[in-house]
Amino acid sequence: MIVGSQKPIEEIWDMVKDSKKVLVFGCNTCIAVCHAGGDKEAETIAMMLRMRASQEGKNIEVKHFSVMRHCEPEYFVPVMEEVKKYDLVLSTACGVGVNFLSERIGDVPVYPGVNTSFYGGVPASGVFTELCGGCGDCVLHLTGGICPIVRCSKSLMNGPCGGTKDGKCEVSDEIDCAWYLIVERMKKLGTLDKLAEIQPPRNWSSSAHGGPRRIVVEHLQELEQKEDNKG
Amino acid sequence: MSSVQTADKDNYLKRIAETKNKRPYSPCRAACPVNTDAQAYVGLIAQGRYNEAFEVITAPNPIASVCSLICHHPCEQACRRCTVDEPLAIRHLKRFALEKALDYRHSRRKPVKKTKGKSIGIIGSGPSGLAAANDLANLGYDVTIYERHPMLGGMLSSTIPPYRLPRKTLQEDIEDVISKGVEVKTNCEIGKDITINDITAKHDAVIIAAGLSLSRSLNIPGVEGEGVVLAIPFLTDVSFGKKLDLGSKVLVIGGGNVAMDVARTAKRLGVKNVEMVCLESAEEMPAWKWEVDEAVEEGVSILHRQGPKAVRREGGKVKGLEVLKVISVFDANGRFNPVFDNSQISFIEADNIIITIGQMANLLFLKDSHIQVDERGRVVWDPETHMSSAKGVFVAGEVVTGPGSAIQAVASGHRAAVAAHLYLQGEKIEGALPVYDKEKILPFPTDVVSNIMPEHRAKIHHLPPETRCSSFSHFEFGYDEIEALKEAGRCRGCGSGAVVDTSKCMACLTCQRVCPYGAPKVTAWSEIDPARCQACGLCAPECPAQAISMLSYNTMDIRKTMPSIIGVLDTKREKPVIAAFLCTHHVGVLGFDMPDNIRKVPVHCTSRIDITDLLKAFECGADGVAVVRCPEGSCKYKGVGKRVAARVNRTKELISMLGIDAGRIELFRAGSGNGNSYASVCNEFAERIKEIALRK
Ligand SMILES: Cc1cc2nc3c(=O)[nH]c(=O)nc-3n(C[C@H](O)[C@H](O)[C@H](O)COP(=O)(O)OP(=O)(O)OC[C@H]3O[C@@H](n4cnc5c(N)ncnc54)[C@H](O)[C@@H]3O)c2cc1C
Ligand code: SF4
Ligand code: SF4
Ligand code: SF4
Repeated sequence: MIVGSQKPIEEIWDMVKDSKKVLVFGCNTCIAVCHAGGDKEAETIAMMLRMRASQEGKNIEVKHFSVMRHCEPEYFVPVMEEVKKYDLVLSTACGVGVNFLSERIGDVPVYPGVNTSFYGGVPASGVFTELCGGCGDCVLHLTGGICPIVRCSKSLMNGPCGGTKDGKCEVSDEIDCAWYLIVERMKKLGTLDKLAEIQPPRNWSSSAHGGPRRIVVEHLQELEQKEDNKG
Repeated sequence: MSSVQTADKDNYLKRIAETKNKRPYSPCRAACPVNTDAQAYVGLIAQGRYNEAFEVITAPNPIASVCSLICHHPCEQACRRCTVDEPLAIRHLKRFALEKALDYRHSRRKPVKKTKGKSIGIIGSGPSGLAAANDLANLGYDVTIYERHPMLGGMLSSTIPPYRLPRKTLQEDIEDVISKGVEVKTNCEIGKDITINDITAKHDAVIIAAGLSLSRSLNIPGVEGEGVVLAIPFLTDVSFGKKLDLGSKVLVIGGGNVAMDVARTAKRLGVKNVEMVCLESAEEMPAWKWEVDEAVEEGVSILHRQGPKAVRREGGKVKGLEVLKVISVFDANGRFNPVFDNSQISFIEADNIIITIGQMANLLFLKDSHIQVDERGRVVWDPETHMSSAKGVFVAGEVVTGPGSAIQAVASGHRAAVAAHLYLQGEKIEGALPVYDKEKILPFPTDVVSNIMPEHRAKIHHLPPETRCSSFSHFEFGYDEIEALKEAGRCRGCGSGAVVDTSKCMACLTCQRVCPYGAPKVTAWSEIDPARCQACGLCAPECPAQAISMLSYNTMDIRKTMPSIIGVLDTKREKPVIAAFLCTHHVGVLGFDMPDNIRKVPVHCTSRIDITDLLKAFECGADGVAVVRCPEGSCKYKGVGKRVAARVNRTKELISMLGIDAGRIELFRAGSGNGNSYASVCNEFAERIKEIALRK
């Protein structure tokens, strides 16, 4: 899932302080799971902003509500009339939601309430770890299921750099060396010999480096269009 | 299920009741013959909301005060706490709430407009007749009760001894019913003072609620004549003040509850030696154990497994009873079928013998009517419609159901009332009568039992046996407020816990991780197992989607009520205003006498407080926020301390971001257990806040 964390309240305040009517618009999917932007956090931010406004002696109306997702129109269309009544929407969805909503809301600015960070797992309540870089050309079958693109600080493809020490990365003692993990894992799986094969330089165009990406599931899209033509 | 969180308060309470009605009932509620929501009123008592408790108690039960003293309380037998320690003292808590709400009760008595233009005659004023009268008066019918005795109440006024049911208490219930505008004809026996045909001609519908007014007797030699009396006439005579001389030794035949009342009444009439003789062993006796214990405490002795053979008389005067040894009482199929050993005869001396072996209906008054009576002397009726063989004549209570409890008779009365109403409105009766057999939640799983802290049931005090036998004064004392609040706090709120709004839940697993009792199971969404849920409320504030609401002890609207709790603040205030979130568990609201500047927010358990609740207090202008938990070692839920501390710490972080001193919110423990009263904790905190304010 997508992981993010709340922006500091001062940063948010700077975004909204000149508006009269602000909606803190929560998203109840990934960003709620990481306790950053669901209904409850949206309410918390709204309260904090009201208190901040009153400290400044400013008269700003701040309300909050949430929908299940900001990244698919069916979820927010039913409340769009209401959303458009505000002169600023602070979306606490991930960046995807902010973009998506912004393109569909007309003249109302949509600003981010959270910093969207990575795709991660949830090993325990309240803990989130980055595990995939979304590179568009997955190599996990070659690396024992451990992603060298995002878990190796340098995205190395053919083994560790010289900075690996006692299984840790030279960038920080708190980061496991991905290549150490890969080797240990592949030993266990009995596939260590696969590592002898040299990986050619990667074509990064499938990743963000190749510009914004778009995936179309052809057979479904065609269906949609046919339906459209009918109408 | 749709969200209940955003609804306004009244709507919220109504929707909670609706949601609860659709879900399996708490065992106490399911066990009550009229489904009184014991969980709800015990919860209200715990919060000091006695008038609301009164409403919950009396909604299904017009003889609530009576039941608060003499009900056999199947709710308690069903209470899930039985598997942990002892059941909640539900009946006694009911008594407490009703006593507390007495003024409120009197204030709401008023006539109901007779809007239906139809009249209904009710024969008999026992629990079933009163219940039917009450319901039909509420519906706007013109109701008349006919009662042969001088006082209303049926067995409640004519036989149940006043040491168990003071007539003043009974009168409170009767007044509630009568004040609605029910007409009363006492000293009016149908079949003697007026005929049944007169009654059926006079009213649009009639309900026969005549009970079982005759005692059964024994067919043994010597039974006829002076010195042998039957239970019902005996108790009725005592009730209505007739003077009786019973000699110094009375023998009571029978082992049921009525026999206990007879024996204990005889004691109170000054009989030195009261002995009971019954067929059953101590374990087999039909009387409730507590009734037997109380009788024995009062000096009544019981001879088990002896069957009456003959009354021995000398010169007509009773000398005693010959008895046979009982081999067995029940046959292999558990049916009553006593077998005697005819060779083992013994003799028990007595001056008077009272036979208490059961009751039957007196239906002579139906003789010349269309209302059929079967060959065994019972009114012919259809339990589906409560109608007798005569159109528009209905039946209710023990006259058709046979002997049971007062509250069972009430249930029957409700059904008969609805039947009469539907009949008069020309509607179908079959399938439309209230049904009280409801699905209930399952017992606590064993791992849950071991997670529940044992807490002793608050003792119910009685007059000592020596004193209580010298009069007919009520022998049981009510709880004082501290006892009642403590007892009410033992309730686990069965079936009133967390529910998930599935349209909001996104299956994040938080609740499943948080719950100490393993109640939530998250698949496509979270489902909370009501058999496990303890209604602690720990999960709801953690749900990031605010998808969880609680069905009891509503704390969801703290944020909504906060502005009125804090009020409009004077900018030049001398004393800092503190929002104090107070756990009501320990002694409930009692320790909460506090100066004005401490604004109280009582909560069922601090586990239910959300970070947004705490922030809201600051938003509304509070100078400080105190979260006060119950004393060390007395929290009745698991895992509360760590979570509440984490929430307070997070709130400190949040307010710091706004430049508000983190010291303006603190977590405390208080209550009699550690010597600090809630008030002293809050006052000291207020002093600290003053200093913080000065520093700025
Ligand atoms: C001694 C005793 C102790 C009991 N203790 C308890 C207890 O502790 N807890 C408990 O829950 N239950 C107890 N019960 C049972 C309880 O009293 C009955 O379940 C209940 O009273 C039955 O209600 P009812 O309305 O069917 O009939 P009843 O209460 O019997 O009322 C019927 C009424 O109809 C009147 N009536 C009959 N015929 C006529 C007529 N022809 N004309 C005018 N009026 C007529 C009678 O006078 C009577 O007032 C006890 C019963 C007895 C006898
Ligand atoms: S613990 Fe409370 S809710 Fe549960 S059965 Fe007992 S009285 Fe009823
Ligand atoms: S915490 Fe809330 S959103 Fe998460 S699984 Fe439980 S009910 Fe669903
Ligand atoms: S945390 Fe408490 S309220 Fe929530 S499901 Fe578990 S027992 Fe019920």
